[in-house]
Amino acid sequence: MALKGEMKSFWRNKTSVFWTIAFPLLLILLFGAIFSGGGTTNVAIAVQDLNDTPASHAFLDALNHTNLVTMTMVDKNANIDQYIKDNSPTAVLIVPANFTAAFAPHAPNASAILQLRTDPTSQSTGIVMGLVGGISNQFNLQIANGGNKIVMSNSDITQKQFKFIDFFLPGVIALTSMTTTIFWMVSVMTRYRTNGIFKKLTTTPITRYEWLASQIIWQLIVVFISVTVIMLVGIVAFGMSLTLNWIAILTIILSSALFSSMGMILARYIKDEETASSAANAITFPMMFLSGIFFQLSSMPDWLQSIAHVLPLTYVGDALRDSMVYGNDAAAINNMLVVAVLAIFFFIAGVLMSKWKTE
Amino acid sequence: MVETVITVSQLLKKYGDFTAVDGISFEVYAGEVFSLLGPNGAGKTTTVEILECLRTKTGGDVRVLGMDIDHQMRDIKRRIGVLPQDFNCFDLLTVRENIDYFGDMFDKRLPAEDLIKAVDLKDKEDELFKNLSGGLKQRTGVAVAMVNDPDIIFLDEPTTGLDPRARRDVWEVIRALKAKGKTVILTTHYMEEAEVLSDRVGIIDHGKFIAFGTPRDIVDKYGTGSRVIISKCDSVCIDLLKQQWPLGEYKENNVIIRLENKNALAEIIYTIDRSGGNYDQIQVTRPTLEDVFLRLTGRKIVEKGEENAQ
Repeated sequence: MALKGEMKSFWRNKTSVFWTIAFPLLLILLFGAIFSGGGTTNVAIAVQDLNDTPASHAFLDALNHTNLVTMTMVDKNANIDQYIKDNSPTAVLIVPANFTAAFAPHAPNASAILQLRTDPTSQSTGIVMGLVGGISNQFNLQIANGGNKIVMSNSDITQKQFKFIDFFLPGVIALTSMTTTIFWMVSVMTRYRTNGIFKKLTTTPITRYEWLASQIIWQLIVVFISVTVIMLVGIVAFGMSLTLNWIAILTIILSSALFSSMGMILARYIKDEETASSAANAITFPMMFLSGIFFQLSSMPDWLQSIAHVLPLTYVGDALRDSMVYGNDAAAINNMLVVAVLAIFFFIAGVLMSKWKTE
Repeated sequence: MVETVITVSQLLKKYGDFTAVDGISFEVYAGEVFSLLGPNGAGKTTTVEILECLRTKTGGDVRVLGMDIDHQMRDIKRRIGVLPQDFNCFDLLTVRENIDYFGDMFDKRLPAEDLIKAVDLKDKEDELFKNLSGGLKQRTGVAVAMVNDPDIIFLDEPTTGLDPRARRDVWEVIRALKAKGKTVILTTHYMEEAEVLSDRVGIIDHGKFIAFGTPRDIVDKYGTGSRVIISKCDSVCIDLLKQQWPLGEYKENNVIIRLENKNALAEIIYTIDRSGGNYDQIQVTRPTLEDVFLRLTGRKIVEKGEENAQ
């Protein structure tokens, strides 16, 4: 119903079309080009396997099979600090001696701490962290499910050929689902309130809930148009291998609802349209950089990480990356549930706070 | 027997200590054009917005089409049409698309085609709303207000800010509504508008009615009698008039004299003729609602009138 009208308005507004479609597209093309470099560049990683058992070998094989890293093995008796001094590797991975023990069925609480030392200034840091993290997740998941841990995970990982764009793209999708919806809701609601369209809407039998829900549905459509464009560019221009599974799709839906609702709430406190976009910027910018959607959270200082854990976008990005990149559905669902709870909370708060009837 | 579509009794609306509507009561009959007339801030818009279920009342009793405004809001909204004050539509939709946007919110609606014809916008139907002039925007607003074929149409200051030509076009649309048998509730601060369009008028000031009835009744009851305006008199003429009608208003070379009895007009014309002076034209005007308002509210011009009366 009202959606047809929104759709027409949207296409006639060149700026909104740019921000929803052209902007994420530019972002992937640009970052994709920067990150992929020559296309086949691998990250050099030095590996010290203190465990040196079939289990640790399987883990390292999985890492090697991603074809994204070139591993240099370091003798397990070598002093790693000295090695770093001598060889200045970009990244060093140390598999602890208790690696096998931690996976043993009789030690449910034991854990093996993989040490990953990276150069924080290097662009490849995020990739390495993502890779190691992803493979670790995969292993953990298999263990948690009690399956044949090593072999299973091994084959799973080897099927997937990670590319740089694969790590970046879920972040762009998360970002788009946030910026598109917040900017739309804030500007539209501020505009409609100041120019009297809300007043006119109030004179019709449609309720606030219905109208706000229609706006969220409309935003879902816009976000999915945007996501489709992003995915197509990822596949066509960068040969990306990611696909959207139901968790990713549900996460995108919930995220759009969450940030639309946030926009509604924000709009309540804004007087005019000029302030609207700066307010939206004020909310989206910190989240863009602090939620680990472009950079791995683990590469940030601790205090920034704790900020990231209260930012909703963190969970959206994590859920998407877990499901799309690492195939870690259990972790993805957990993150998605956080997004779901936040979405419901913000929607209810948003509807209650954006009152139409004037006193 | 006339059917009553709106009953308002002792309507009260307060904002903190400020009383916007101070216990007014009135009825609106089916098929009439009823106007609330008054200056800005008099309480007109607050009153109609309470009837439109946009605002909540502080006290009193209001029934619209026999329904209670506190509990049957949605049913009322289905049967009324509203052109809010400072009306706006979606800028990037055309006239027709805007009508359809709002039309889709009602179960029962009129085709956009008919509405466009009704407000005479046939040649602008595919124009984007933002490109329309003020008058055309208001006409689009009236079309949108009619989309659910309402029994009552509220037009809140439909001609404010329009040029005289556009104002007259909106008047035509309002007359057409009346001709269709719709009840129209109009708020305006243009006295002439209320006088020309309304069957009945309530003149409102500080949240209270100061006069109520048909424009003619109000003028007869509170008016100050007809006046003669003689413009561009020469001094010979003015001197003689001043001697005989010292209470008249003499501003530069224009003269305004109130007619106190039937013979006064003839006497004035005779005096002018006798003086042999020149003038541009003589006009006789009936008092308007404007005069009534100014007299009743005790504002500037009424004070001047009192000076003249002394």
